[in-house]
Amino acid sequence: MKYSYNWLKELSKTKKTPEQLAQLISMRAFEFEDSKKEGTETQLEFAILPNRGHDALSHIGMAREICAIEGRKLSPELDYSQRLKLSFSQKLNIKVNERHLCPRYIGTALENIKVGASPKWMQQRLLASGVKPINNIVDITNYVMLETGQPLHAFDLERTAGNIIVRKAKKNEEIKLLDEKVYKLTANDLVIADSEKALALAGVMGGIGSAINNKTASIILESANFDAPSIRKTRMRHNINTESSHRFEREIDPNLAEIGVVRAIELIKKLGGKNVEVIALTDVYAKIIRPWKINLNTNYVNNLLGENIPVSKMKSILENLGLIVKVSGKFLNCETPTRRIDLKTQEDLIEEIGRIYGYENIKEQALCVELKTPPRNEKRIFENKLKNILTGLGFSEVMNYSFYGKDEVASFNLDESDHIEVSNPLSLDQQYLRTTLIPGIVRNATLNLKYFNDFSIFEIGDIFSAKKGEKTKLAGALMNRNQKNNPYYDLKGKLEELFRCLNLPDVEFAQPKVAGNFVHPTRTAVIKLKNTVVGYIAELNPNILRKYDLKDRLVCFELDVVEVMKTSDAFEKSYHPISKFPTVNRDISMFVDENTKYADITKEIKKTGGELIKNITLFDKYKDSLAIRIEIGSNGKTLTSSEIDTVVNKIIHALEKKLGVKVRK
Amino acid sequence: MNKADIKQIEAESAKEIAESQDAKQLYDVKVKYLGRKGRLTEILKKLRDLDSEERKSIGPLANGARQLIDNGLDKRKKELENQIDWEKEKIDVTLPGEKNELGSLNSITIVYREIEQIFSSMGFEITSGPELETDWYNFTALNFPPDHPARDMQDTFWIHPITNPNHKMQMKIPSEGEAASLSENNLRRNGGGIGAGVKSDKEKLVLRTHTSPVQVRYMEKHKPPFRVIVPGRVFRNEATDATHEHTLHQFEALVTGKDINIGHFKHIAKEFFSAFFGKDVDIRLRPSFFPFTEPSFEFDISCTVCSGKGCPSCRYGKWLEIGGAGMVNQNVFMSAGYPRNKFQGFAWGFGIERLAMMKYKIDDIRWFESGDLRFIKQF
Repeated sequence: MKYSYNWLKELSKTKKTPEQLAQLISMRAFEFEDSKKEGTETQLEFAILPNRGHDALSHIGMAREICAIEGRKLSPELDYSQRLKLSFSQKLNIKVNERHLCPRYIGTALENIKVGASPKWMQQRLLASGVKPINNIVDITNYVMLETGQPLHAFDLERTAGNIIVRKAKKNEEIKLLDEKVYKLTANDLVIADSEKALALAGVMGGIGSAINNKTASIILESANFDAPSIRKTRMRHNINTESSHRFEREIDPNLAEIGVVRAIELIKKLGGKNVEVIALTDVYAKIIRPWKINLNTNYVNNLLGENIPVSKMKSILENLGLIVKVSGKFLNCETPTRRIDLKTQEDLIEEIGRIYGYENIKEQALCVELKTPPRNEKRIFENKLKNILTGLGFSEVMNYSFYGKDEVASFNLDESDHIEVSNPLSLDQQYLRTTLIPGIVRNATLNLKYFNDFSIFEIGDIFSAKKGEKTKLAGALMNRNQKNNPYYDLKGKLEELFRCLNLPDVEFAQPKVAGNFVHPTRTAVIKLKNTVVGYIAELNPNILRKYDLKDRLVCFELDVVEVMKTSDAFEKSYHPISKFPTVNRDISMFVDENTKYADITKEIKKTGGELIKNITLFDKYKDSLAIRIEIGSNGKTLTSSEIDTVVNKIIHALEKKLGVKVRK
Repeated sequence: MNKADIKQIEAESAKEIAESQDAKQLYDVKVKYLGRKGRLTEILKKLRDLDSEERKSIGPLANGARQLIDNGLDKRKKELENQIDWEKEKIDVTLPGEKNELGSLNSITIVYREIEQIFSSMGFEITSGPELETDWYNFTALNFPPDHPARDMQDTFWIHPITNPNHKMQMKIPSEGEAASLSENNLRRNGGGIGAGVKSDKEKLVLRTHTSPVQVRYMEKHKPPFRVIVPGRVFRNEATDATHEHTLHQFEALVTGKDINIGHFKHIAKEFFSAFFGKDVDIRLRPSFFPFTEPSFEFDISCTVCSGKGCPSCRYGKWLEIGGAGMVNQNVFMSAGYPRNKFQGFAWGFGIERLAMMKYKIDDIRWFESGDLRFIKQF
């Protein structure tokens, strides 16, 4: 809210300069936003906290803060409610149909009004507070709102049917408001009406039809209280933001309505014409709000703040904020003024004491705790391990949005029904939560190909499946334009090293029965650990890449982090004794047909050779010819060459018989 | 011919052998002394013509010399063979090395790690929670009233109700009566799309707007005293620009015990930021408001560039706004099933992007989720 410095100064009697005041209020109450000169006035703008809209969106409220900060009480003469008795025998006809949306409605009729310009001092204060002066009556309603926090509205009595009905709008009921726009209302909007028509959108803006003009001679002055959520919904529905709705949607005290009307009548009598008379007044206020009590434990105050504030200091801080405080042993019995809707608990009062006392006066304190090591976060540790290994293997870490759109679902042939949809996406290309990290990775690849010929990237992030829920995945891709070999093997080699570093010896790359949705159907393998599929490695389907203008081949992988972690944890590292006996390498070259897989050959060799097979490596591959080196040895003795020959012959026999390979001799 | 000649041959040949620099020179020496017309060969040839007396005295000398030269040649030959021509070996040591790159961690990860390391050294546990969160954990349990503006469509990504009967999201199933009635506010927007037919905030899903839901998730399973940190990804429904992102990374710290107070918070915050920035940092608290803390504060740190003297980085304000904090609201303890006023604690949170931008002087928040290696490779 924008405040007039002079006005605050007059109300609070502070001697501080605008700069000092800005600094002080920032540290004790509200963040200072901006300051500017308005003629002879200085405007100070503060961001009022959401829970202080009840009382601080007013000059009196802010003046009370200033006084409390300076260790004083606000002058009692600013309590306008004491000045006038609200009892008039003459009643205005007011009917409130929606009691819970309008807890209080004070309507008063005044006559002998003379509309004209308001005095200069008032106009200056309005301008300093960011409000445009219009005429004396409208200016007084605004002035009182800025002073007390109570929004008011004045209707031209002659242009109403003379009565007030607070009711819900009829569906599609139309009203032209003061901004000269016609609004079509809903049955959830609250209006102020007379027996014929809607006069105002309650708590938001008045209608133009009953507005004060130069000829207005009598008015109905409204000082009411409206339900905060209802006002909020209405102003959002119609996209209108006014000083009035701003206050009502933050919830204000129904008792403030009385203060507002008293103050407004006083000013209208002074500035609205010589013979102004109140001719009628009705106050519809069924459920009267009374001050409540909070019993504050003074030990708790110091225990939570971490300070030793004397009880007398606590008491005076609360009293300066307008509470009535009685000391009773170690307790303070506090009676809270009804405007402080935010004060409900002991902690609320402790905050008041703490901030006025000054947080900078609270000394730092080392924590006194049992010295013990915290439990390990195994998943976080495992993710960090993955990141370390992958960066060691040359992968850089990307992070992508958790969203994509219908385009990706279609392009990557994803199952739309497995997608969780955002109700209010920022745009349609961010409509779904990702079920795979790959579309993001492909987007990264497309971008980076503009600048790099070869790169490898990875991401660890959560995916969201309607069927399986939220899961953490690791995905990555490798691109190498310079290399002629199929990049699949390049990536696979890196993954094999990853699994070796994770102490996962028996990783199986198997041809899947059914290829995934977006992969090259004959260049894809599922990755199995202990017979559980934990992910896949694949070249992306070139048809999909083409949609993203990617002409180069891209290989990628995706793994379930928790599944891999579980298996990795199951393997304890332990030392394998190094054999004292020599091993021998034997090479076998063979012709294989296209359906025979390398994995089948190694499996057969291991099966036939048993424990004597120490290692198998592929050392040459050309078209249909493979050359394999087998390391043979025994842990118990040195093998003779005839024993070795026997094993090799058995292997050759098995390979030829079972897999139909032709071994070159 | 006399003994002196032979001695001379021995001496000269030895010198020439030693001076030979390659196989060719060495061969020439060999020819000069031991060739068909070599100097020693000539002497040996003439031995026949000598009388026996002379032969007996010269013969062994001449043969000895021959042996000496042969050995010398062999030795020098081996030496020359083992000698390396350093000039021929020369390479351009300024040519670039073979490319063998390590990858780069995302700068967010780097900052996370620094933070986690500092807190771990102070005995904090690292914990986490789901990104797809229930309305209850994200708002209700944290004392957000049903009509709180943060629940607006403008701030929060809401999820269409999942109709698939197979879905087994990890969420707390509300017991009867527990199911808080939600404001019609959220249910009605967007043509009744969101939450249509959903009554409970324990079934309604949002992308979490902060890491604070993990406070309650953690407290449900643990008893004070404890100190935890929660790193994680959060979401805000706002359009992106150089200073705004809808996908952010956050950090949450929660310390709970019997008598935790604001002084403790100030101490730990100061410890943390001094360690993070590697210099003494001061902490300043200003009043603020958050539903899940009471008292609440904004916390500022003394400008890390000018150490509080005033500079463009802090816009001459000497302080940098970092995040929010406060003493845990008793209603949050209640949400987690703790009795009211049995425990005290503080919670604080701040954005990782902001710290990374300060630390590395990054000018646009959108770089972090760009996937652009020109950016990522700088770290």
